[in-house]
Amino acid sequence: MSTLLAQSVTIRFGGLTAVDDATVEVPEGGFIGLIGPNGAGKTTLFNAIGGFLTPTRGRITLDGRDITGMPAAARARLGIGRTFQKLELFGRMSVFDNLMVAAESAESRLDIVSDILSLPRRHSEEARCGRIAEEMLRTLDLEWARDRRAADLPVGHARLLELGRALCTKPKLMLLDEPSSGLDSDETADFGKMLKRVNEDMGISILLVEHDMDLVMDVCKALYVLDFGRLIAQGSPKQIVKDPAVRAAYLGEEDDEAAAAPAER
Amino acid sequence: MQIFIRTLILGIVSGSVYALASTGLVLTYKTSGVLNFGYGALALFTTYIHWTLAVNAGLPVWLSALIVVFIVAPILGVILDTQLFRPLEGQPQIISVIATVGLFVLFRGIAQLIWKGATESVPSLFPAGVAFHLPGGAAVAKDDLGVLIVAVVAALGLGAMLRWTRIGVAFRAVVSNRSVAGLMGINTGYVSGLAWALGTSFAALMGILLAPKLLLDPNLLPPFIIAFVLGAAVVGYMRSLPLAYAGGIFIGIAQAIFVQYIRSQGFWGRISDSLPFLMITLAVIFAPRALRQAGAGASFIVHSREVMQRASRNTRGLVTVLFFGFLALVPILFSGSWTAAVYQGFVYAIIFISLVILTGYSGQISFGQTAFMGIAAFTTAHLVQGAHLPMWIAMVLGPLAAVPAGNIIGFIAVRVHGLYLALMTLAFAFMADSLFFQNPTISGGEGGIHIGRPAGFHGPTSLFYLGFMFLIAFALIAVNLRTGRTGRVLASMRDSETGSRSLGISVTKYKVLIFGLSAFIAGMGGVLLSFVLEQAGNRSFIPFLSLFFMAVAVVGGIFGVGGAIVGGLLYGIYGQLSGYQLLSWLNNWQLVLFGLGCTLALVQNPEGMFGELRRAGAAITRLYERRTRRSRTRSEPLPVAGGQE
Repeated sequence: MSTLLAQSVTIRFGGLTAVDDATVEVPEGGFIGLIGPNGAGKTTLFNAIGGFLTPTRGRITLDGRDITGMPAAARARLGIGRTFQKLELFGRMSVFDNLMVAAESAESRLDIVSDILSLPRRHSEEARCGRIAEEMLRTLDLEWARDRRAADLPVGHARLLELGRALCTKPKLMLLDEPSSGLDSDETADFGKMLKRVNEDMGISILLVEHDMDLVMDVCKALYVLDFGRLIAQGSPKQIVKDPAVRAAYLGEEDDEAAAAPAER
Repeated sequence: MQIFIRTLILGIVSGSVYALASTGLVLTYKTSGVLNFGYGALALFTTYIHWTLAVNAGLPVWLSALIVVFIVAPILGVILDTQLFRPLEGQPQIISVIATVGLFVLFRGIAQLIWKGATESVPSLFPAGVAFHLPGGAAVAKDDLGVLIVAVVAALGLGAMLRWTRIGVAFRAVVSNRSVAGLMGINTGYVSGLAWALGTSFAALMGILLAPKLLLDPNLLPPFIIAFVLGAAVVGYMRSLPLAYAGGIFIGIAQAIFVQYIRSQGFWGRISDSLPFLMITLAVIFAPRALRQAGAGASFIVHSREVMQRASRNTRGLVTVLFFGFLALVPILFSGSWTAAVYQGFVYAIIFISLVILTGYSGQISFGQTAFMGIAAFTTAHLVQGAHLPMWIAMVLGPLAAVPAGNIIGFIAVRVHGLYLALMTLAFAFMADSLFFQNPTISGGEGGIHIGRPAGFHGPTSLFYLGFMFLIAFALIAVNLRTGRTGRVLASMRDSETGSRSLGISVTKYKVLIFGLSAFIAGMGGVLLSFVLEQAGNRSFIPFLSLFFMAVAVVGGIFGVGGAIVGGLLYGIYGQLSGYQLLSWLNNWQLVLFGLGCTLALVQNPEGMFGELRRAGAAITRLYERRTRRSRTRSEPLPVAGGQE
């Protein structure tokens, strides 16, 4: 069974059709890329999968369970983790606490009574979730930044932290929105290695929206290409590179360099 | 028909004055991003100056109005912009909202200080008598006609300036996108200064036009103006000046019709009083999503002075224990009146803790704490008086009664953010006041309602220890809340709600929870406060107190329990000091000092006095460590040069 299935999803804003009848499937353990030129509707589709907006038509299932109308927080509890193009870290909290919040929200129930009375249960839960967070710090190689404010981290480390934060909730599926933006090529390559570990070692399925073609070609096992809200191609990275429709969408006309600029928009 | 037309004219006249003022309010809001809750107090202050010039100094009324509107008010506006609001740029919106509350308290206080809070009648700019009769026979007074003409001319003048002048283009550019306008070479500082000058002029003009009709009354005018002007601004959604103008006219007519056709006493009178607030609430709840959520994604990183090196954990623990140990000895060391004063300080500290867990921990805001206090206190009183419950049970049930109200506000806070939340909660405080607390069956009319004290705690000393116990309990609860899982979740929502949601955190649940807890703590504060006089009345929980408490809490420090305790004790002791003959002037200076303290604190160090204390503690620690290190080097040289700095 596929981990995620977004079936014939259509999203309209007023008269504008941002996503038009797109079907995207992430198999279990898959590493799927979603690419397309600017304004193709990638992020819109992505937000519909993450629960930050509701599709006009179509159905989204996670492990066969319909999650179409579910709010973002509920989807997260079912196992969808995500990162954001514009970082959504908890800036004033320490790096460790960023991970701790995530671990706690997945691992332990809210118990305000033992919280405000500082009962033993609170401390055992904190120790348990603290270990998860510490473990993640080691995995991310961020131990040196443990007590720094998240807002003070350089972008490269901040992206790692956001990924780690989502991983602390033990997701089945990770949604990554343009993780390479703001990173230089070395940092992007490192991030790509990390993503491979997440996918292969931890067995987490990934859906990646990305601009950086080197990264996409390097890590993804299969790609979907969106243009003007429509799915124009799908297949392995090698097939996609050769696909004439994709080349047209990205380069305007195959052999005309000058046409590349207007097509970029 | 004739009555209806007269009512309509009345509504249009007063409506055009509100419209004028709300245009000024929206203008400054759009250019500087600050919605001025102190607008009414500025109008009050400038109108008092007008009164002094026209009545005391004997200047012609017209001349005095011109001086105030074209010289005094613009200068005041520019000073406020350059000294207060420009330094606050880059701070979260809530900080600048609170700064304008400080401004409100400050100018209300200055009016109190200089003009002794006297109610004065202000001469009209226009002659008495009838200007002309309408076809239906209704008479139009010269005064009304004059006010209408001035208001319309001022608004058209502003419109023409924005439309056709160079500076007007710059204005509109800044209004539509401040940062891009700055990049395009527009001096945004100059524009916002001018906007503040214009806004303050409009406030003055409003005061001068309205005061002859209303009386210049410091207790009445500012809340009145807040109500109608904010109402008008919000009805236009603070988006466009014409809409703000239309909103003002609308509210003026609605009010006139309400007053004319529906009785102004009793239940319907109370409804009529809360009309603008009802409109604010409805307008906010039904506002377009993008507007309500304005500032939702904005960071809540408050820039405050860094504490370089905190004192060690042990030192801080020791200082805390010593401090509370000293407080415990107050009834033994000091006289009864000091004991009572410190008890009040405890109660204020508890009320401020209810603000700290909202603003400091969660990045939320509430100007509605007096509503929770009142609900709790009056419920307790009725349970004791009517149901004859023992005080011990009633004083827990009372604050619990405030919890659902808090939950509802929290639920609304999921959809409404920042500025609009501040507005909503203030509207809530006003509505609770005019709908319930002014109802004699609830608040006991003139004499108030008797509450008494719990059995065994009638004396000042035992009451002191009761308050002390509650303070320690709530302080511990708040600290545990912050350091525990709940506190982390609240902090995460404060920094990024989107991020929290992506982790599976139910933002709704936690907002409902934290506003409920805040309501409970504030409610307990209300009950404990009414133990002081053993009664509560319709003046005990006026909405103005919500704003004043916020100002005092900021002076102490709004970001932590320590600040709440410092602020509470400060205000308790202040009350005691002003009781001494020599220091009785403190009474008159109260609003000025705390209002000024609040705005200064926000500009200098938003963490308030407690933040400064922490800095001092850190400085002492550094000094002490340096000295011990030096003495150690002298006796036994360190093996390795350097060491940690």
